[in-house]
Amino acid sequence: MAEEPQSVFQLPPSSAAGGEGLTEVSPEITTPEPPSSAAVSPGIEEPAGDTKKKIDILLKAVGDTPIMKTKKWAVERTRTIQGLIDFIKKFLKLVASEQLFIYVNQSFAPSPDQEVGTLYECFGSDGKLVLHYCKSQAWG
Amino acid sequence: MEEDEFIGEKTFQRCCAEFIKHSQEIGDSWEWRPSKDCSDGYMCKIHFQIKNEPAVSHPGTSTHGQTCLPMEEAFELPSDDCEVIEAPEASQVIKYEYHVLYSCSYQVPVLYFRASFLDGRPLTLKDIWEGVHECYKTRLLQGPWDTITQQEHPILGQPFFVLHPCKTNEFMTPVLKNSRKINKNVNYITSWLSIVGPVVGLNLPLSYAKATSQDQRNVD
Repeated sequence: MAEEPQSVFQLPPSSAAGGEGLTEVSPEITTPEPPSSAAVSPGIEEPAGDTKKKIDILLKAVGDTPIMKTKKWAVERTRTIQGLIDFIKKFLKLVASEQLFIYVNQSFAPSPDQEVGTLYECFGSDGKLVLHYCKSQAWG
Repeated sequence: MEEDEFIGEKTFQRCCAEFIKHSQEIGDSWEWRPSKDCSDGYMCKIHFQIKNEPAVSHPGTSTHGQTCLPMEEAFELPSDDCEVIEAPEASQVIKYEYHVLYSCSYQVPVLYFRASFLDGRPLTLKDIWEGVHECYKTRLLQGPWDTITQQEHPILGQPFFVLHPCKTNEFMTPVLKNSRKINKNVNYITSWLSIVGPVVGLNLPLSYAKATSQDQRNVD
């Protein structure tokens, strides 16, 4: 079970209405269609750094999973993998029966409560964290 | 992997050995248990966890040195000593066991698990459900018998809960195909367990992901 048996599943509070708290970093996006609640700040350059609250994540699709129009996101360090999964599922408009997995090193799925900040420290390089995502009907 | 999505038993054992090697490095307590004739075996991990339940007062039922009073008298005496807590530490420690076996019929690894209190009382399926991570609960509760069933452990012959292996290939195949595409070695067991483990409360430390990378560097 999770480290805390009482399993408090709360996403950290976010300023964005929907709670995703992801900011677009990629400048080449013209008309993305993010969920209405995502915080969008086009044109704001946020250099990644160890002391920054947000880290840069590059999302790559695996297999037949749809590719996201926006691949590069600035994400709060405290965002959990589960939070990121929920966000991508909404962004890709996946149906409830589809499961989404996120991998580091293209092969290892961090546990849902893992914070992206920690993953960035362990697996980040060139100022960003590359995460692969893959949809599956595993438990559909 | 020379085969497609499936792994042969030899590969299974090799991946387990590599996995256990890293486990030993970080003190994660996985071990290999051979079967009686040593032709096969399984990976096993035991860990203990305290289940966080609210303290319960059992006036009159405890045999502690504290004053034990029947309910009526406890009501009249406004003393803290009336609230008897029944050894919370011992009664709420849960022993979790996770076993990774190879399924010849599905040609994939399978996760067996069980949990019990220290006095031997097993946790029920309902108790197990309560420990399932929120993000999997909805799906599993819709059809629990499709994914978690109770079966006899093939080697020990005791009842265990099993995460059904029939869908394993669905989530493993993209990972394996992708790794082949980029010519990267992947420890099947590490990847697989990182995916299925959290469903039943087993979270792998991140260093396992790095261990695989290091193996690759050594291979080169």
